[in-house]
Amino acid sequence: MANLLWLQGGACSGNTMSFLNAEEPSACDLVTDFGINVLWQPSLGLELGDNVKSILEKCISGEIQLDIFVFEGTVINAPDGTGEWNRFCGEPMKNWVKKLCDAAQYVVAIGDCATWGGIPATAPNPSDSEGLQFLKRAKGGALGENFVSKSGLPVINIPGCPAHPDWVTQILVAVASGRGGDLTLDEFQRPKTFFSSFTQTGCTRNMHFAYKVSTTAFGQRKGCLFYDLGCRGPMTHSPCNRILWNRQSSKTRAGMPCLGCTEPEFPFFDLAPGTVFKTQTVMGVPKDLPTGVDKKGYMKLTAAAKNASPAWAEEDIFVV
Amino acid sequence: MPQTGSTPGDDALRKTIAEKLAGGLQTEAFPRAETSEMVNEIVGRLRAEAVGDLDKKLIIGGFTDHTIEIDDIEQPCETCMYYLVHRKFCELPELMLPVEPEWSCRLWRI
Repeated sequence: MANLLWLQGGACSGNTMSFLNAEEPSACDLVTDFGINVLWQPSLGLELGDNVKSILEKCISGEIQLDIFVFEGTVINAPDGTGEWNRFCGEPMKNWVKKLCDAAQYVVAIGDCATWGGIPATAPNPSDSEGLQFLKRAKGGALGENFVSKSGLPVINIPGCPAHPDWVTQILVAVASGRGGDLTLDEFQRPKTFFSSFTQTGCTRNMHFAYKVSTTAFGQRKGCLFYDLGCRGPMTHSPCNRILWNRQSSKTRAGMPCLGCTEPEFPFFDLAPGTVFKTQTVMGVPKDLPTGVDKKGYMKLTAAAKNASPAWAEEDIFVV
Repeated sequence: MPQTGSTPGDDALRKTIAEKLAGGLQTEAFPRAETSEMVNEIVGRLRAEAVGDLDKKLIIGGFTDHTIEIDDIEQPCETCMYYLVHRKFCELPELMLPVEPEWSCRLWRI
């Protein structure tokens, strides 16, 4: 049995909604098959008011062993570092977060807001939001750079807007079943098992990427979304095209550009007008090139690929 | 199945465009669209001023019947991502024009 507590800070509840749609394993499987005892969760917990507060206090005192603390949403510090804009159970949420993280065996941050601040931390960041251990790319966050939970691991970051439900439940199962020590994390504390490959890995548009044929409108089945519509699939680490959404699709498969939501800079360019769904260029060359590719190589490769592209690459080959 | 080769209609229009460019049609080939903001501005003008107007498409787009090189980057249609190789066609939604591979415009992007 592993006790799990889930709280929300500056959040839209999107990650809870995602979590409740998990399939492999499902949220119910966590309880029935993997021995996770959900002490409280904002959308599932039955307790209200002082009864919730009592659970939190017992976790902090050790009366209840807190095995997994899950946090969704940003840690809000406004105004003036007090955190009073986000009060919960009688005190600023940021205070509960600190105490519960110190008490927990494992701390798991779910979604961009909890990992690195996400949309609430976009400039000018009016709520003075930050993630548990990062603010965008800068390590530190609410808990500080050197924080480790009782297990010895730092915060396990599962980013995304929202995080894919099965990323969440599979990591929770790993931790609850005593295999937390087997997790390897990347420089942003993301589990490598999910965040080493790229969103482009497994994308059905890879042929069009290779032959440099562009999608020019949303929903088009032909073409690659990288060249014009701002797709960040070639430089975003996620398994969105390996572990499909709803088990059948992904943004890029549906004709929607990857927004790079598992990377710390999300949302990119601070959502400035003209930057969303549009590839940013300098003298016609994309500002952000596929990871590991330099400008000179990119230009040589794309010119050659364009020249060699077969006729079918310019057609809609996905005939129903 | 969508069109992949150049059609007689494309060929005729391409010839018309070639004649206009060779005939001295003054287009806004410079400044090139150096930044995304400039791209957005030019595309916005095409949407507002050039719908159904061939001359304005050529002028605002900055068409030339030869390749422009700038900052050591050659910008021919044939390497532009909007170019369909087999149809010899510019697929930028605001232009949608038959072109020649060695032509150029200031919305070129790779």
